[in-house]
Amino acid sequence: MNMNWLIRSQSMVTLAAGMIYPYYLLFLKNLGNSYSKYGLAFAVFTISSAMVSQWLGPKLDRYSPHLLVTSSLGMMGAMLAFPWVMAYGWVLVLQFIMGCCSAMQKMSERQLLADYTKPGERGAAIGSYHFWTTVASGLAVVLGGYLIDWLTINVLFYVSALLYGASAWSVWRMRRAAAKELNAGTHAISS
Amino acid sequence: MVKKGIALLLLVSLSVFTYCRTNTADQDPYLMTDYSRLHPVKVERVVQGKEEQQLIHLLQAARDHHLKVSIAGQRHSQGGHTYYKDSIVVDMTSYNRILSIDREHKKVTVQAGATWEDIQNAINRFGLAIRTMQSQNTFTVGGSISVNAHGRDIRNGSMIKSVESFRLLMADGRIKQVSRTENAELFSLALGGYGLFGIILDVTLLLDDDELYSATTVTMPTAEYVGYFLTQVRTDPDVRMHIARLSVAPDHFLTEMFAKNYTLEHSESLGQYNKLSKREPWIAPGKLLFQLNRSFNWGKALIWDLQTKFFTEQSGGLISRNNAMRAAWQFMEYDEPGSNDLLQEYFIPVNQFDSFVSALGDIVQDQKLNLLNITVRYVNKDEEAVLSYAKEDMFALVCLFNAPLSSQGQLHMEQSVRQIIDEALRRGGTYYLPYAGYPTQEQFQAAYPNYKLFFRKKLRYDPDELFVNSFYEQYKGGDAG
Repeated sequence: MNMNWLIRSQSMVTLAAGMIYPYYLLFLKNLGNSYSKYGLAFAVFTISSAMVSQWLGPKLDRYSPHLLVTSSLGMMGAMLAFPWVMAYGWVLVLQFIMGCCSAMQKMSERQLLADYTKPGERGAAIGSYHFWTTVASGLAVVLGGYLIDWLTINVLFYVSALLYGASAWSVWRMRRAAAKELNAGTHAISS
Repeated sequence: MVKKGIALLLLVSLSVFTYCRTNTADQDPYLMTDYSRLHPVKVERVVQGKEEQQLIHLLQAARDHHLKVSIAGQRHSQGGHTYYKDSIVVDMTSYNRILSIDREHKKVTVQAGATWEDIQNAINRFGLAIRTMQSQNTFTVGGSISVNAHGRDIRNGSMIKSVESFRLLMADGRIKQVSRTENAELFSLALGGYGLFGIILDVTLLLDDDELYSATTVTMPTAEYVGYFLTQVRTDPDVRMHIARLSVAPDHFLTEMFAKNYTLEHSESLGQYNKLSKREPWIAPGKLLFQLNRSFNWGKALIWDLQTKFFTEQSGGLISRNNAMRAAWQFMEYDEPGSNDLLQEYFIPVNQFDSFVSALGDIVQDQKLNLLNITVRYVNKDEEAVLSYAKEDMFALVCLFNAPLSSQGQLHMEQSVRQIIDEALRRGGTYYLPYAGYPTQEQFQAAYPNYKLFFRKKLRYDPDELFVNSFYEQYKGGDAG
């Protein structure tokens, strides 16, 4: 395993997130009749994110790839659910779930970035990581606009779900490949 | 490094392309326009209508600062009726409370910014339904009565018939109760008055019972339609609503139709069908199909075939009145910069239908207009509004054109529409005023012979011309006063 798979899978995540994020804000604004109600939806996101971070912290060293998969699958579920939500209460529930997923993704991403780099040599790798995830987000947001113009915001949610699914799958695959590599290495040493 | 350069270049190119593509006046967020996206202008400010006192103070402030006021609802009218250069635009969509429901007398009183959907959501549980409205339920009540809308109901005339009374905030800041017996003159002026007589604050509407209909679809050659309508639809009192559609597919251009009738159904109880349908299904595929309809002749043929097949297969299905009065619309949403789908509507005496359709077809083909669909509704004679369009029993032909918004494209539309209106006027017909102001002053005056009275009264009730809009500026002419 190296940085490339992390960059690739997390670019997919930023593609999925960047695609919906600004439009999702509009979508939420239309649900609330006031800015404070809109603010509340985001507060719920941060509360769940902060809460779950305390529980996740100790597990991070061992389970970062698992958490990335879980986060992407959770976001996929949320994206699939959004078009069907008809009540503000459910928006808050989804915001809560998304806050948890965001904590898993952000924390694991940082953990793995640190794992795959060495002190004193991190700059270039982090630069590369930032470049690809940001470009992916930029492309996503422009294409997202076209997608809504031509189709609907619901389709955008579904495409985003697809990308989250793909990122979960790519992390899962890399994790298995890495595990095999590790096993093969252990066998070679023991034989 | 090369990969990064390519990726960045791709993102920059896409952004530049998008900037150029959307750099048109119709996409300028700092200008105001309506659903047509034609003639965007800068306005002084947009104010959300919230409270009666706030609106009174707003008018006072406008008078003090010599500013003009325009009134807007959903801004679906397309001829500049809801805004004016440098004016204050009062956005009434937030003035939208349901004030009271009188179940016994079947009436509802609502603030003018309430939409038909708001009303349906409130009255459905009491087994009540709206009497007259447009096919879609997204418009505000204030906007709809200001354009004296009509719809699929063939038994209740145009909207003015279902209005019992309303309160009108006048230019001088006074509020008048207006009905057929109180300030009666204003009743027929402000209904179909395009926001020129004051701000309609709240409206009392007459309702009907919600009913169960069987929705049936029949296809036929256009030549048989009038006979069919007169003998099988108009004479059958159980047919409550009716809409027809003319084919724009190249193979049977305006020569084939299908008619959809909503007939009272006695065999089953309403209870199983009166849950309101809140979601419009299949928007994305519908949007794609409609884009094919805009872009290709084969797309027009495809959508016609699919529509006829779908509606014929569904024929006989049961639906409540409230659900029948919330037609799909989101699949037609269109934001393409530089072009738009624009409506035109012509009212044609029943016996002139065939000849008008034929003349319309010739103009559309000669001028190569991109006609996306035509629906046909029936409107009873109704001359209560001063600017009335139904001088006798009429068919209303609602035509949706896709047209470029460039000045050249618009000039072409204007010339073509003027030809069509000449054909309508020649046959004793009229056209509908809420759409783009293509018609000439002479055509407007011929279609609406009461225009002098209308503009004279406008100046009587609003001598300083506080309430204005682009439509007023275009057609008031020199004859007012």
